Amino acid sequence: MIKPLLRIKNLHKSFGKIEVIKGVSFNVNPSEVIVIIGSSGTGKSTVLQCLNLLHRPDSGQIFLQDQEITSPGVDEDKVRQQMGMVFQEFNLFNHLSVLNNVAVGMIKVLKVPTVEARQRARDELKKVGMADHQDKYPAQLSGGQKQRVGIARALAMGPKVMLFDEPTSALDPELTGEVLAVMQELASEGMTMVIVSHEMGFARQVADRVIFMENGLIEEEGTPDQIFCDPFSQRTRAFLSLINQGENPGGEIQ
Amino acid sequence: MTEFLAYASMALPEMLRGTLITLKLTVGALCIGILIGLPLSLVRVYGGKLLQPFCMAYLTLFRGTPLLVQLFVVYYGLPELGISFSRMTAAFLTLGCNSAAYQCEYFRGAIQAVSKGQMQAARGIGMGRLQAVRHIILPQALRLVIPAWSNEFIAMVKYTAVVFLIAVPDLMSRAKMLSSQNFAPIQTYILVAMIYLVIVGGLSLVLHFAQKRLTVPGFDFGQDAR
Repeated sequence: MIKPLLRIKNLHKSFGKIEVIKGVSFNVNPSEVIVIIGSSGTGKSTVLQCLNLLHRPDSGQIFLQDQEITSPGVDEDKVRQQMGMVFQEFNLFNHLSVLNNVAVGMIKVLKVPTVEARQRARDELKKVGMADHQDKYPAQLSGGQKQRVGIARALAMGPKVMLFDEPTSALDPELTGEVLAVMQELASEGMTMVIVSHEMGFARQVADRVIFMENGLIEEEGTPDQIFCDPFSQRTRAFLSLINQGENPGGEIQ
Repeated sequence: MTEFLAYASMALPEMLRGTLITLKLTVGALCIGILIGLPLSLVRVYGGKLLQPFCMAYLTLFRGTPLLVQLFVVYYGLPELGISFSRMTAAFLTLGCNSAAYQCEYFRGAIQAVSKGQMQAARGIGMGRLQAVRHIILPQALRLVIPAWSNEFIAMVKYTAVVFLIAVPDLMSRAKMLSSQNFAPIQTYILVAMIYLVIVGGLSLVLHFAQKRLTVPGFDFGQDAR
């Protein structure tokens, strides 16, 4: 029996009067790639942002290995250092060069000496194919390049798990490929990943498990084959058939 | 013309001594303004509800009353309460506290112009709030604030002229004396205006170069249309 890396138990979260997550539970095993799918506004991104405490859940528990990170008094900053977050809007630090975007966390948070941090940052950039762009600034990069730097920035902190919040939704179809390729590479290296995505083709190829969320709840979860070919739930079926209609050759959902 | 030049060469040394005080006041007031204004702006943006009324009271007080009234209250009014300052101290304090109120609002605007995602991303790599403000938000906000802040700098050079009313021997004070001693108001005040112009012109150049040096792609200070 493998011990889960993350255990999420009965998570609830409301914004004002609107309950966005209504009791979500799942486990994430080491080296597992989980893709969360579902229509817009069903709480997928909120679940992800609760995982690294960017949103504080109202109730429920999250365990990172043996530590309950939702219990009061836990150092949130320490928790976040162990989870890499990749944002839909990239959110690269605009005033820093590509190299420093990746190095700044190591230097300021992990207190790695600058020279060593830069060296490690270069290695991470190499991994995402951005080593040649290390001296550029975010404003000089394409969306796909920005997102690859975003991934390198998160990896540089040596996270136990990577969280991807719709990493390709803000990209042109021709740029999604380069980002997905990097993610696929990561998955094959054994990185634990939780991905909120609309890329069904990618989910099918890379995911170990797919979670379909609807209305703040997990409607169905299973292997990609089971979810995409033979879903139990009527709603999953309806969602997937809608998606299939809208699917274009690039795999981007319009 | 030769008459004017002769007068100028007689009056300039005295005026330049005054100019030095004007510059001292400007720099001092701006520094006090940053020291009070920047923390105040951080409270305005990130501070809890408890602190907001104090901030607002400060801003309303200093932005809602004339600078000259503030100066007189500090220099002539406070001694009655047993708090007295030298002329220079009163001038520094009043100009500084006044400038802080305006600078606070410039800083606040710049901080809020940095997108929310920057804070999220900084927290996402494990920075604490203060670390994120210091390493991610402020470096961007301070670049964004330069154009507005340059205005404050230039305005301050000229605002300092009010201190001649509490007899601080700045450029304006000395000019007034020279003018009445020599019955030469036109020549004197033309010279004064020219000195202010030179200071402001010089400062604008300095700020322009500072801005250029700090430019990184994406922070082109409006040269790029976004």
